[in-house]
Amino acid sequence: MKKSRFPLYITIAILVFFYLPIIIVFAQSFNASRFGGEWKGFTFHWYYKLFSDRNIWHALTNTLIIALSSTFVSLVLGTIAAFALYKYKTKLQIGHNILIYFPLVIPDILMGISLLLFFVSLKVGLGLFTIFLAHVTFSMSYVAMVVLGRFQDFDYSIMEAALDLGATWRTAVRKIMIPYLMPGIAAGGLLAFTLSLDDFVITFFVSGPDSTTLPLYIYSMMRHGSPSVINALSVLMVAFTFIIVFISKKLLEAKE
Amino acid sequence: MKKFILTAISVTVIAISISSCSKGKQTLHVYNWADYMNPAVITKFEQKYNCTVVMNYFDSNEALYAKLKAGASGYDILFPSGYMAKIMYEQKMIKEIDHSKLKNLKNLDQPFIKKALDPELKYSVPYMVTYCGIAYNKKKVKNFKPSWSMYDRKDIAGRMTLLNDLREVIGAALKFNGYKYNTVNNAELEKAKDTVIRWKKNIAKFDVDEAKRGLSSGEFFLIQVYNGDAIQLIQENEDITFVLPEEGTSISQDDFVIPESAKNTELAYRFIDFLLEPENAKDNMEFVYYLSPNLAAQKLMSKEFMSDPAINPPEDVLKKCDYLMDLGADNIKYSELWDKIKSAK
Repeated sequence: MKKSRFPLYITIAILVFFYLPIIIVFAQSFNASRFGGEWKGFTFHWYYKLFSDRNIWHALTNTLIIALSSTFVSLVLGTIAAFALYKYKTKLQIGHNILIYFPLVIPDILMGISLLLFFVSLKVGLGLFTIFLAHVTFSMSYVAMVVLGRFQDFDYSIMEAALDLGATWRTAVRKIMIPYLMPGIAAGGLLAFTLSLDDFVITFFVSGPDSTTLPLYIYSMMRHGSPSVINALSVLMVAFTFIIVFISKKLLEAKE
Repeated sequence: MKKFILTAISVTVIAISISSCSKGKQTLHVYNWADYMNPAVITKFEQKYNCTVVMNYFDSNEALYAKLKAGASGYDILFPSGYMAKIMYEQKMIKEIDHSKLKNLKNLDQPFIKKALDPELKYSVPYMVTYCGIAYNKKKVKNFKPSWSMYDRKDIAGRMTLLNDLREVIGAALKFNGYKYNTVNNAELEKAKDTVIRWKKNIAKFDVDEAKRGLSSGEFFLIQVYNGDAIQLIQENEDITFVLPEEGTSISQDDFVIPESAKNTELAYRFIDFLLEPENAKDNMEFVYYLSPNLAAQKLMSKEFMSDPAINPPEDVLKKCDYLMDLGADNIKYSELWDKIKSAK
């Protein structure tokens, strides 16, 4: 019997759907035309402008500081939360589960404005720190959900066996639980990092003076700025991500 | 490896808390649109007054309003559009302007300001002016006339667009019939409605973004558009020109205002006054390519800039232009007309 070619077409369609926009951004970053309506010739102008614009770099630094720190903290909190949800099935945990789920379903604008009202009523000065708190709030839920998924297949008796054989709790966690959960933790971390990197709505509301992040800056450029500079920046960021992924993969292979 | 990651991340967390501490220098927090001020002017200000200017950005008047209304503070100067400045003033969100602190106010174009929403400059100081007009493709439109009557032309029917904005479209029809933009007279509005319904048969759609792209690529020949957008289109495609219809059109402007919560009011005044200096206003005009109602600065501008109708419309057209005003309870009249226009066949 001949194999159906349907899956192949679907795969190709999805690949095109995922990667064509990136390819277009790549091409447009060298297009001399400001709107990208048509090809006006090859240029490095946007890259030049990008490197001479201190505002963009400042915004990028802010974005990375927040993305890195909020990812780390939400990884720790999210994993611990997932452990509690997995291990204890009390009434309290049902409430905990709902609380963790909430940020996933609540609309961004609602979360943004309520966090803003909350910070204002507590008289917390708006700035990088409030953005960091807001990002941890929503990233944590994503991490917890992803790690919890990994926990579903975790056989807790292995932990008990280790403890019976004399391992301390700390060693058992480090040698058994963490390595087992690692794929989930890594996926949750990547998710949290990207969510934090491109969040606009919540960040807009909780940002304060001198805490402009890249998404805020890009949206504000719609009225007067040139989007082509952002194309150039996107290309650099994609290239950077590819390099990181490539290196980490090589490192992992070397280990094995 | 793990220890390294831990240290790296705790360093960033500490960096966050440190960076929020203030330094010895005075700081001015400006809330503005991106790319709406010449960076060289800002650097000059920083050097002159030995301070730091921190730029923050918002993307729409409504978002700015929502955020400040909810209680966000820490900004010393905002750049809302005129209509939003008025709303903020009415809701006591911004301070009254102390004219004694701005010696360069005299540079402003007084007759021009008198027409604006805040003629006494009670709560705002104008920065840049924008208009709504017609952009068209010179090669495709024969016998062009700078008039709203272009929308009656059958030869380019289906190749024109109007904005998807009830005030601007009904306003254009009001001007076409010789009335004011902000009229609430029923007979005048009724006539304007009939005009728009007649135009509707000739246009492709009511739209902004598609229209801009369409004009650039040659799909549309003539569109109703704001001059800032038109200037960008002209830079792209030299066949495109922008004009203000001779019957008149709408003007709006972006203002400087000082929010009630401003911490450094003194420096904010100094900044506004600095921007009103002819040299600096000139540098900003050249950077953003809009007209600032600053007569002393306009004298320094090149002839080419001042004679560009997309930037500086001729005096006699300008006389016929109106600022869009908020009509309060009468806004409903416009939206009812708009419903009728949209549903008309």
